[in-house]
Amino acid sequence: MLLLCLDTATPQVSAAIGVDGAVLGEVRLGRGRRHAEHLAPAIEYLCRELDVELARLSAIAVGLGPGLFTGLRVGVTTAKTMAQVLRVPVVGVASLDLVAYPLRHTNRLVAAILDARRGEVFHARYRPVPGGVQRVTDYEVGAPADVVADLVAAGDEVLFAGDGALLYRDELAEVDRSEQAGPSYAFPSAAALVELATARVEREDFVSPEDVRPLYLRRSDAEIEWKRREAS
Amino acid sequence: MRILGIETSCDETAAAVVEDGRRVRSSVVSSQVKLHAPYGGVVPELASRAHVELINPVVDEALVEAGILDAGEVDAVAACHGPGLAGALLVGVSAAKALALSTGLPYVQVNHLEAHLYAGWLEEPDLEPPLAVLIASGGHTLLVVMEDHGRYRMMGQTVDDAAGEAFDKVARFLGLGYPGGPAIDRLAGEGDPDAVAFPRAMLDEGYDFSFSGLKTAVVNHVRKHSDVATRDVAASFQEAVVDVLTTKLLAAADEAEAPTLVLGGGVAANSRLRSRVAEAAEASGRRVFLPPLALCTDNGAMIAGAAWWRLRADGPTPLDAGVAPSLALPTLP
Ligand SMILES: [Zn+2]
Repeated sequence: MLLLCLDTATPQVSAAIGVDGAVLGEVRLGRGRRHAEHLAPAIEYLCRELDVELARLSAIAVGLGPGLFTGLRVGVTTAKTMAQVLRVPVVGVASLDLVAYPLRHTNRLVAAILDARRGEVFHARYRPVPGGVQRVTDYEVGAPADVVADLVAAGDEVLFAGDGALLYRDELAEVDRSEQAGPSYAFPSAAALVELATARVEREDFVSPEDVRPLYLRRSDAEIEWKRREAS
Repeated sequence: MRILGIETSCDETAAAVVEDGRRVRSSVVSSQVKLHAPYGGVVPELASRAHVELINPVVDEALVEAGILDAGEVDAVAACHGPGLAGALLVGVSAAKALALSTGLPYVQVNHLEAHLYAGWLEEPDLEPPLAVLIASGGHTLLVVMEDHGRYRMMGQTVDDAAGEAFDKVARFLGLGYPGGPAIDRLAGEGDPDAVAFPRAMLDEGYDFSFSGLKTAVVNHVRKHSDVATRDVAASFQEAVVDVLTTKLLAAADEAEAPTLVLGGGVAANSRLRSRVAEAAEASGRRVFLPPLALCTDNGAMIAGAAWWRLRADGPTPLDAGVAPSLALPTLP
């Protein structure tokens, strides 16, 4: 099974080609805000160097966020359009899951936290289970202080991952018995996407391309303002 | 040569197939007007989100309408990369590059303003430069002399609001809703264009335009004369805009000795502007080309059309090209 896997939900563009659940090749580019410039050449490079023809793909997997809107749209549009042309199914996986999955061998609670700008973070918490992680909260957006308050109240031992966790490391340090997973776990992992998507393709757990939507979690500013005005 | 063109620079998700820069094989436009209407203008984040939802069905429909079963049957894929809203442009550019990548076809990036210039050829295949072109919409107002293919002389631009923006703002003030252009056009038909003598800003000062003062003049007049008929205000406002646009277009054509006049952009759909420019052309012995509404407003066909000329002149665009939200028309010094 040949998979093309993409994630552009963070300042890092990542693309990988997976064969039967293992990474055959991976490109990661972390220049931020250059998703559109980097993604297509990264895919082209992988195909050329790995001698993979796109026509042989079994499916395309894409990280759905939550994450930075413009980057997210580049990956989701690219995945949907390639799937449309190549007539292959699409598998969408939350980018926060791709941050947590590589930490499945811990026995602590994993808090995946991505920078949402404007002083907020996208976050979800996961419990390691045999073979993976199980999400125990909704995907949420909020202030780092709220994340801290929740975790302090719960009292679990926590492992933090994601670029948001690094950015707000001082705030998060207030959580007792917590640790940072570090820079190697800052961004959604393409290898995790290969593994998770392969399992989904095997189960034929596809979404039709028109149902592949970014996880925004936040309304647009205009809508927020509009609702506020309507309410008052 | 058949080119698939994609346009997502503002609030229209559009795709089209055009042959040899002239023959429109299909053109699909999905307008988001209703989505933005409650806000009285285009909301960039909402536009970007809608483009992601609409782009694939729109491209599909454009291919099917052109009788193309497989995207690989076209000869190139083009997208507008600017000017426009960054988040919106990224969707069309990403889709076009993904298409090119999946099919091995060349990718061509197209300047939105240049595409408006080339919309003329879609209806009038024998159009010959030099042309004096007025492009007026909610996003741009520019007066260009196209001396030859790829050779554009910028005669003038708006120094503040775009012409279409002035229509929207005045319509909103008069309670006529969004978008303002069609609403004012309709109401103005019943009003007296000479009822109020609104200012014609910069009428005799070169080719630049200014419309923000006119909007203020409308607001002040209505506040001072609460009994004035809205239809007369609409007609007088429209006349002031049309007067300036027509006068400057003719003056530019005179200076450049351009025998042909062309209108483009959403404001080119205004019935008063069309008839005034047609009259002026006739009086000065010029040809005039007034594209149908579907080619005036943003569409994929103008992108596919311009892409054919660009591809001939410059070849394909590399896949590491991004978007250029504040792209200008490449003009002669
Ligand atoms: Zn336009």
